[in-house]
Amino acid sequence: MRSALIVLMLMICSAPAAIAQTLQPILQTHAAEISKPSRRSVGETLDAITRSSLPQATAFLEQWSEKNIWQRDDGVFFLGVADGNTLALTDIDTQATSSAPKANYKQLKPNGGVRRLIGTALVQFQLIDPDLPRRETAVASIARRPEAAQLAPLLASIAAETDPALKVRKTQLANFLSARFADEPADRIAAINSLATDTSVESRAVLNQILLVKPGVARTQPDGNIAAIHDPMDAPDAYYTALINEDLAPAKQTTADMKRTLKSNIVDGRIAGFALAQMNDLETRKAAYAALATDGLVPVLITEDLRDASLNNHVFYDLYDEPNAEITAAAHRVLGTVTSRVATAQVADLTLDALSLASIFFLAAIGLAITFGVMGVINMAHGEFIMMGAYTGYVVQLFVPNYTVSLIIALPLAFAVTFGAGVVMERLVIRRLYHRPLETLLATFGISIALQQIAKNIFGTQARPLTSPDWLAGAWVFNDVIQISYIRIAIFVLALMFLGLIIYILKRTRLGLEVRAVTQNPGMASSMGIDPDRINMMTFGLGSGIAGIAGVAIGLYAKVTSEMGSDYIVQSFMTVVVGGVGNVWGTLAGAAMIGFGQKGIEWLNPSNTLAAQTYMIFFVILFIQFRPKGIVAQKGRAAGD
Amino acid sequence: MSTLLEVSGISVSFDGFKAINNLSIKIAEPELRAIIGPNGAGKTTFMDIVTGKTRPDEGYVIWGEKSVSLLGMSESQIAQAGIGRKFQKPTVFEAQTVRENITMALKNPRRPLDLLFNKAAADTEDRVRAISDDIGLTDALDQVSGALSHGQKQWLEIGMLLAQDPRLLLVDEPAAGMSAVEREQTTDILVRAAQTRAVVVVEHDMDFIQRLNCKVTVLHQGAVLAEGSLDHVTKNQDVIDVYLGR
Amino acid sequence: MKNTFIAKNPSVLWFMLGLSLFTVIVSICSEAAGTALISTSFLKTLGKTLCLCLVAVAMDVAWGYCGILSLGHFAFFGIGGYAIGMWLMYDRTKNIVVSSLESNILPATPEEITDAIGSQIFGVVGSSDFPLIWAFSHSLTLQLLAVVLVPGLLALVFGWFAFRSRVAGVYLSILTQAMTLALSLYLFQNDTGLRGNNGLSGLQNIPGLEAVSQATLSLWFFWASALALAAGYLLFAWMTSGKFGSVIRAIRDNEARVRFLGYHVESYKLFIFTVTAMVAGVAGALYYPQAGIINPAEIAPIASIYLAVWVAIGGRGRLYGAVIGAAVVSLMSSWFTGGSAPDINLGVYVVKWTDWWLVLLGLTFVAVTLFFPKGIGGLFDLLPRKGERT
Repeated sequence: MRSALIVLMLMICSAPAAIAQTLQPILQTHAAEISKPSRRSVGETLDAITRSSLPQATAFLEQWSEKNIWQRDDGVFFLGVADGNTLALTDIDTQATSSAPKANYKQLKPNGGVRRLIGTALVQFQLIDPDLPRRETAVASIARRPEAAQLAPLLASIAAETDPALKVRKTQLANFLSARFADEPADRIAAINSLATDTSVESRAVLNQILLVKPGVARTQPDGNIAAIHDPMDAPDAYYTALINEDLAPAKQTTADMKRTLKSNIVDGRIAGFALAQMNDLETRKAAYAALATDGLVPVLITEDLRDASLNNHVFYDLYDEPNAEITAAAHRVLGTVTSRVATAQVADLTLDALSLASIFFLAAIGLAITFGVMGVINMAHGEFIMMGAYTGYVVQLFVPNYTVSLIIALPLAFAVTFGAGVVMERLVIRRLYHRPLETLLATFGISIALQQIAKNIFGTQARPLTSPDWLAGAWVFNDVIQISYIRIAIFVLALMFLGLIIYILKRTRLGLEVRAVTQNPGMASSMGIDPDRINMMTFGLGSGIAGIAGVAIGLYAKVTSEMGSDYIVQSFMTVVVGGVGNVWGTLAGAAMIGFGQKGIEWLNPSNTLAAQTYMIFFVILFIQFRPKGIVAQKGRAAGD
Repeated sequence: MSTLLEVSGISVSFDGFKAINNLSIKIAEPELRAIIGPNGAGKTTFMDIVTGKTRPDEGYVIWGEKSVSLLGMSESQIAQAGIGRKFQKPTVFEAQTVRENITMALKNPRRPLDLLFNKAAADTEDRVRAISDDIGLTDALDQVSGALSHGQKQWLEIGMLLAQDPRLLLVDEPAAGMSAVEREQTTDILVRAAQTRAVVVVEHDMDFIQRLNCKVTVLHQGAVLAEGSLDHVTKNQDVIDVYLGR
Repeated sequence: MKNTFIAKNPSVLWFMLGLSLFTVIVSICSEAAGTALISTSFLKTLGKTLCLCLVAVAMDVAWGYCGILSLGHFAFFGIGGYAIGMWLMYDRTKNIVVSSLESNILPATPEEITDAIGSQIFGVVGSSDFPLIWAFSHSLTLQLLAVVLVPGLLALVFGWFAFRSRVAGVYLSILTQAMTLALSLYLFQNDTGLRGNNGLSGLQNIPGLEAVSQATLSLWFFWASALALAAGYLLFAWMTSGKFGSVIRAIRDNEARVRFLGYHVESYKLFIFTVTAMVAGVAGALYYPQAGIINPAEIAPIASIYLAVWVAIGGRGRLYGAVIGAAVVSLMSSWFTGGSAPDINLGVYVVKWTDWWLVLLGLTFVAVTLFFPKGIGGLFDLLPRKGERT
């Protein structure tokens, strides 16, 4: 207890020695302004506080702005929190706490304008705060609400900035501010020009801010920095509405207006002499209205000729907010450059998207490339194997809560489950139907229907989550335009691994050799001691097992439902067929073509993925007309028949 | 004897393997011609090219008096032009009766609407009978052809060829799997057919060729090795080398 | 000629007798006849079943006779439904709009009527303009033509491309499935002008026949469906019996051989594909007014797959097999999934047919493919035949 007291004493003694100054005297100097601040005069006080460079000054400004500063009868300021009739007080310099009755204190309540100035002063102050997070907060707050006054302190803080990343950010931000607020036009143009290589959304926002226009209309073209003059005949009705809004022309009657007016002018069952029964024709209605107008009963009908005449009497223009034409010209030019850079980046982003879509298609189709492509067995339940893999992942997650561990368990388990299912199916059904492809197609349809319904009975109809581990969440952000989620990268890597694995198995292992032997000439293969039944079973199991793993991967990024398989089956078959049956590279090419094609169409018509799928299928159907054997066609007598 | 089919300088390769290498053959009308050669000599590929199943990489196939090129015509057009083909394995339509098989092959208009709306020609029955008499299957006309013996299927297929009334018959191994008696009958059918048209027979069996008693072309590695009577070619040293091995 | 045709195909006669008998019995039992032994909703189910039988017969001709395993015939069926549905919906909405505008003081202009119909029909997809695809919806004649021509034209174009490049077998199946998928995805979009996933509804109300009760209307549609089935059956029986039938069966068994006989195989396939697609369209045009609603989910690839299932279970390669398959399986499906089938209590687990019917159907289908390729129709082969030699 005693030693603690000594330590405390030492600290209290040494603290003023290090800082050697307190804030309260400065505050007292400006006490009048602080207790009743006005927006016009508070600047000087804020400067004084800022100049002190005291650490507690920041806290004071923050609390002032938050209305937490109280002034005692004798003029001393405290930090205080009201609690009923008492105040919990904290000394501004020593941080010593005490409490006192509320009656002797007065709360300072700066108005909104002052608070904004305090905020600005605070930001300047925080910009050079020794604490890095505070500096970052200050920079972020400037970025949120850029103001002219912040430019100078921001520029001043750059030289002393120690954190390299923040220094870069400050410089960038200073550039944005200079572009908009620098005093000298030359400085602004220089800053604008320096934005030419910056494709961030922020930078484009700065340029667009500078290029803000106000549409206007007048009899003659006004002076000022005109952005554009419009031809009203491009959209006469819209421009006429602008005229009406500016009270430069009388309102134009719509057909509904005309009908209303006609209705209210029925006299003895007739309108301007026309019988009501004649009113089922637009031209007659116009004639009746014109007759009413001639009699002065209704305003003159604004015909299209009248409308065009008024339109031609006016100038429709866009006026820049920025008066300096040189600056807007520079901003316009730089924005053009930036836009084309952004377009390039978008193409890169699209390529990444397409690549990831292609890897999903590839992953979904690679199992088929083996069962259909290599073995020639058409398995319509392939999609259901994908589904089984995904549900396996979901079930594992029910038992193993750690997502990383469960994923590591799920991948081989999904392979095992679907491998088993594939082997069973091969033994029970497919083996009996070799060389009867249409029958195989039908039987596997039956299995697909049954499997889907069984999954529905077990897991219900709603989508089940398959959550990815944290390290797969998030996205790799290259810049504001180009980014890709880690999960898609993982799928891409998985697809590449599978490609390598399959090629290795087919080309370099005994199994692969035997598979090729059996598919090319089963009779010859079996006479050489290869058991075709075993090989077919293994191959089919392999293809199915891969579908299971693909299911886990697809489940991570899409929903897991009993119908997910049917979403992929047609695409997968098209991938294999387009690529060229019997060739894993073909499947890769097919997946790439369909993935890129679909993204490309989506890019042309971004709002509509359904349309992209539709047109892609049409394209594939057409493509098969011209290359029936696919992109990587097998040649020779063995192919085709 | 005028030239009916002229195949000149055709070559075709599969994955780098030259199945046919600068092959030229002329067939006259009427003529009976046997083509022999070891396995892989290009006999079947030659037929594939003539009937339009395979397109050659180079060369010409010229047909008839008007010297039409057969390249670029579809299989069915070539068949309608008058070339009939019998495959190595008998391929009759086993689910249908002998009569239906022959009727289908009879030379008649062949477009879908012709078949639906034209009345069957009055002489159809007579023509079917004539063919079935020729191939000895009159009693089996209403049998499902799948129930026929192997030899009968071969005849039915030849009968279908005759029903097409082609100017050129390409016959691939007609005697395979036949008994001695059946072979003899087959020879008779072919020889009879060759009196009015061109018949090209591909066969392995030398006795069968002997009985056909006609001009023989020996193919080897996709090209003509020798041509002439059977006696002539069997004395040819090249042919002996190829068949007996060097 | 007629005599010999019937004599050669006694099953056609039996089928016609059976269908007539069935129609007469159902008519007598219907509510419209006063006996009301069959409810109107069940009468509609029977009428719809006849339409399904018709499309199954078409499918059987394409697949069972000509070997084209098309997974697109239900799409053609749906197109037929859409084509007639457009007229039904347009004309009915027009009648409603006109009568509601009649009370207005000023008689409506044609533009106002069109706008009102447009916003009635397309309000659900946030539009009121008539898409180009509805250009003929005012005319019953033109839409009736579309019932036949649109599926026919689509089949013709698609088939021409596919057959020309010798796409056959499973490849053709996959390609037709892709076509069906593309079509249903297309219809699912709101901006393609066919009301997206809302589809067309209220089709059971026939414009101009508002005074006729649904009971009577259902009976009329039942007759029309029976008539269409009879006509379609006769057409296909005639097509498949003569030399033409001989050729298409030969194409199914060995396409290449038929080519060497000098037949242009592609024209035959195209002909069959197109004609059966047109008949499917007619079947759809009769089906959907009885169903009352059509939406893109009806056209999804799975529907065409079920069609293949029916034909396979009934027995492909024989027309009555397709009819039996479609009738039995679709009626059983609606019985089992309708919840009226009794659940089976196994003690530990209660088998609910609504959940397990599809599993049973799928496995049955596998079993039929593996062990009974002739399907139910194969049972008729076991009957002794009179007057047959051997």
